[in-house]
Amino acid sequence: MSADATTTAGGARLAGKTAIVTGAARGIGRACATAFAAQGADLVLLDRAEDLPGVPYPLGTASQLAHTVALCRDLGAAVLPVRADVRDLAALVAAVEQACERFGTVDVLVNNAGIAAPSGKTADEITEDEWSLMIDVDLSGAWRMTKAVGKVMTGRRAGSIVNVASTAGLVGYRHFAGYVAAKHGIVGLTRATALDYAPMKVRVNALCPGSVRDDHAVEGRMLSEIARSLDVPVAEHEETFLQAQPMNALIEPEDVASAAVWLASDESRQVTGSVLTVDGGFTTR
Amino acid sequence: MRTLQPSPPSTRPATGPARRHPAAPAGAPDCHALRIRLDPPVDDDLVGARLAAHAGAARLWVEPVADAADSPAAARRRDRELARPVAAGLRAVLIRYADDPADLVLVARRDTWDPPALRRLGAAFRGGTADPAPTPATDRPTAPAGGGPAWGLGDPRAGDAWGEDRTVLPGHPAGDPASWLAALAVLLARYQPEETPVVGALGVRAGEDVTVLPVATPDDLPLDALTARLRDRLAAPAEAAPEQPAVPVGLAFDLGDPADEYVPCLAPRFPLTVVVGRDADGHVELRWRHRLRAVSPAVAAQVVRHLAHLHRQVTAATPPPVAAANLDNPAEREKVAVLGRPARALASTPRRLPEVFADRVAEQPDAVALSAEDARVSYRELDEWSNRLAHGLRARGVRDGDLVGVCLDRSAELVATLLAVLKAGAVYVPMDTAYPADRLAYTVRDSGLAVLVTTHAEFPRVDGVTAVTPAALAEAGATGVGRPPAVTGGPADPAYVIYTSGSTGRPKGVVVPHANVVALLDATRDDFGLGPADVWTFFHSAAFDFSVWEIWGALLTGGHLVVVPYWVSRSPEQFHELLVERRVTVLNQTPSSFAQLVEADREAAGPLAVRLVIFGGEPLDARSLLPWFDRHPESACRLVNMFGITETTVHVTAGDVTRAGALAASRSVGRPLPGWSVRVRDSAGRPVPPGVPGEIHVGGVGVAAGYLGRPDLTAERFGVDPETGERTYRSGDRGRLLPDGTLEHLGRIDNQVKLRGFRIELDEIRSVLTECPGVAAAAVVLRRTDPDDPATGRIDAYVVLTEGGAAPLRERLRRMLPEYMLPATITVLPALPTTANGKVDRDALPEPAAVPATPEAPAEGAGDDLAGGLLGVWQQVFGRPVGIADNFFELGGNSLLAVRMAAIMRERGLPRLHPRTLYLNPTLRGLADALRSG
Repeated sequence: MSADATTTAGGARLAGKTAIVTGAARGIGRACATAFAAQGADLVLLDRAEDLPGVPYPLGTASQLAHTVALCRDLGAAVLPVRADVRDLAALVAAVEQACERFGTVDVLVNNAGIAAPSGKTADEITEDEWSLMIDVDLSGAWRMTKAVGKVMTGRRAGSIVNVASTAGLVGYRHFAGYVAAKHGIVGLTRATALDYAPMKVRVNALCPGSVRDDHAVEGRMLSEIARSLDVPVAEHEETFLQAQPMNALIEPEDVASAAVWLASDESRQVTGSVLTVDGGFTTR
Repeated sequence: MRTLQPSPPSTRPATGPARRHPAAPAGAPDCHALRIRLDPPVDDDLVGARLAAHAGAARLWVEPVADAADSPAAARRRDRELARPVAAGLRAVLIRYADDPADLVLVARRDTWDPPALRRLGAAFRGGTADPAPTPATDRPTAPAGGGPAWGLGDPRAGDAWGEDRTVLPGHPAGDPASWLAALAVLLARYQPEETPVVGALGVRAGEDVTVLPVATPDDLPLDALTARLRDRLAAPAEAAPEQPAVPVGLAFDLGDPADEYVPCLAPRFPLTVVVGRDADGHVELRWRHRLRAVSPAVAAQVVRHLAHLHRQVTAATPPPVAAANLDNPAEREKVAVLGRPARALASTPRRLPEVFADRVAEQPDAVALSAEDARVSYRELDEWSNRLAHGLRARGVRDGDLVGVCLDRSAELVATLLAVLKAGAVYVPMDTAYPADRLAYTVRDSGLAVLVTTHAEFPRVDGVTAVTPAALAEAGATGVGRPPAVTGGPADPAYVIYTSGSTGRPKGVVVPHANVVALLDATRDDFGLGPADVWTFFHSAAFDFSVWEIWGALLTGGHLVVVPYWVSRSPEQFHELLVERRVTVLNQTPSSFAQLVEADREAAGPLAVRLVIFGGEPLDARSLLPWFDRHPESACRLVNMFGITETTVHVTAGDVTRAGALAASRSVGRPLPGWSVRVRDSAGRPVPPGVPGEIHVGGVGVAAGYLGRPDLTAERFGVDPETGERTYRSGDRGRLLPDGTLEHLGRIDNQVKLRGFRIELDEIRSVLTECPGVAAAAVVLRRTDPDDPATGRIDAYVVLTEGGAAPLRERLRRMLPEYMLPATITVLPALPTTANGKVDRDALPEPAAVPATPEAPAEGAGDDLAGGLLGVWQQVFGRPVGIADNFFELGGNSLLAVRMAAIMRERGLPRLHPRTLYLNPTLRGLADALRSG
């Protein structure tokens, strides 16, 4: 007989659960995936895994997705990698079908996929295409994924959806109108769907990370890309943010992942429609 | 054959299962899984092609594992895939390990791929030739899970979590499914003797997924014949069963290729599901999965041990008949017997009560022995007083062993008289002055009294019996102050005869010897720290044996006994005042009386000196003690629940009640006192295993001599333990021993009623009610509209509420109890009526209210004048309109309602009401007049 099913390598807070993480190739997506794996979850790791025309920086790659998959398997998770674009509803529906066939059901969805740029312009400077792309990926992508998985979760009257928004979902940032609008949209989507699904015992919550440090292990590059959008050196950009942080520290990807684990687990079973900041106190000012 | 005994099922602590799993995903109990090891080299494409050939629609999922096949990570991955149900069809997962081997895990619903079909499919990947097409089986829904079997001792807080464990039985014959089902049928017949055993099994009959069989187990049927019958039934086509009975234990079998790992159900299909399989060495291995809510790990392991032991008898060369089968081997049976014995031996020398009392007199002649309203009596004074009375009794012709009736109000005189009867070598027969004349006359006649001591003017005349007052006795014995009369009796002779009214038949006199009472004090003195510093109350009627404990508990340990006048005992407020004023330290109460006292305590100012509260006389709802704990922490005042019976000398067991126990609504009455023992037996007299309810049999030094003049009844209830040879008493109480040796009291056996074919424990309904928030007390009765027509039976519930109403209660009951156990009516009462002994008086419960009483505004204007105010209070108390000329007692009022009424009057700023005023002025108008002039 093997070890207790509830004491897997790292812990068992998500033992027996299956989670879909979008944008899983790197960054917060990878941090969530490995944190979930360490807590006993099995995973569907979804990523476009190729660049996207109109986004001025390289997106996650197939190799990065494969690396996340390997990290999770090393932690004992069963993993189903899926390459799909959150702008393609049919592909997302197929991914969820595949997930159910492989794992029986889907317990958790982490809507993490998103882009930070094209940005760095005032509202009047943004083009129609730039605006549409931002909203299509960052806001509509989360809605499409919710639509694809909703019936599975409501049908079994259980499930947790974690929408990764941003402090940009709560306050404004200069020169980021599209991003800020999309993230505010995520918060609104969270609140509305939380009410839609509450009778069916499916929970929906939003996570609002502050500025997350570009971490080597998860190959995050958000902060760099924001700095680049604003045309300032990364170090200077970090320093500016640090001065605005009450706790005088940037957010680490694992801080966001820890909050996601809690929202995904039954420990938060009475938490829905909440907007949880992981921002070192940034938005309390 | 290495050993005949099953290996110990588990060396783990009994508190948890070997493995605990969270709630299983939907469908898990209906799916099964097979894991087959594929030898290297394993070609994914080849495996995929075979799968496509035999199970076309299924896709092959490949899951690499970064570790070797024998690593914990690999084992976890296998277990996870073996626990993951499918909604439809078949799932095939190829687990590839870092070293060469691979496992193929096949998961399917049993009603699509039955067990043989899944086996054939597995074999196909190793070159098997049989056609592995899916074989559908019909799935028959079984009864809803509910709370699990009564003996399961499940954890209601476990939710849908389940446990898992296994044991290997070296040398045990594998047998066939029928032989195991025969063993299971005998097991269930012992665990729930009042029901026909219903056994369940998975995949034992062609074309049927779940097989459910009611099995008759006649006592004289040899076990092999039982197996043969089952074998025939398994070979026959599925039986039509219109209604599926509950199946507490079901079996599944994994007797195929032991190289494969087969999981018959991915989560428990039955509350306890036992899989008969083989381990890697080919030994029989029992693996069990159980819903923790329904069956505790300790009970599950016990059932499996019993199943194995019975199966060995089933498969023996000459199997015994059903009645002679043993659940357990002698060593395990002895362990159960030991559970019912006290932890310590009793050190007690049999003596007569006056001898022990004389020691206390010699030690502390001037200490206060007794106090009543105005009187204080020292040990020496009590000794001399009782000497006079004893000589007076002898002068009246009382001789050794004679029965002397005593019918006096609770007073110092009563205590002195009881002691005097014993000193005169006689036996006291206490009678309550409040008893009806017929009952008193019956007691006098039935006991054949020589003399009756009473001051009761209306005591019925019985020919041949002379009544005498204590004063007359004292006068007649005035010369005998110095020493008691010389008597010849010994400690084994009777000290008292107390009449108990059974639920059926006439009251019967229980004859209790001196040595029993002395042993009771010896058994408890050290544990309770009883001594001269203690102040006790004499609260209960002398005709209720709780008072035996109060009187002799105080006087034999040198304590101070405070006599509680009748009126004070009926007024919780006044009683509370007395406790404060007299610095009472040891308090004995029935739970019903204590509930009233707790209420009074909440509003009283004075500090209590009580350090020990002992509950007796009726079942305790531990949860009701929480408000008490809030004011009196366990460190300051110890609460002890004692289960006892008149026939076993007041008490049998003692168990501390803690806040933790109260929160868990514990029904434990603790362990037997040193010198006492308990066994729980079925109706055939066989000891039942821990967890299984049965009748409580009490043995040891407390067992009474028998029933006065009723050798037939004595022979029926008193007996001898066949194993220990000690005298025992069959209590008529239902209980069960828990695995930790404590006894749970489950009510009277005659409280088990049958309603429309269902066997119902009224006490179970009562327990559920008292566990509802806002319920302070509850009573449940079965009534028949037409006494001769069982079909007119219905369950009526009565509750005392601290908050809320009856409607939410009904909703909650609906969630906790099966439909047939739901009360037809729930009547809200301000207080439950109690008997003279402080127990709930079922006969005095009013007719049920079709609509719950609304304790809101009275119908007529109240408050401007006293009678109007009283009208409102009475309407609230009785829950219906009343008139100014109505009589409190004719409306159904009793002392507890009077107390409640006094409390409401105080809340509304009306004059203070003493119960006595109400008794003297029972009409509303009269009461108003009395209060106005008072």
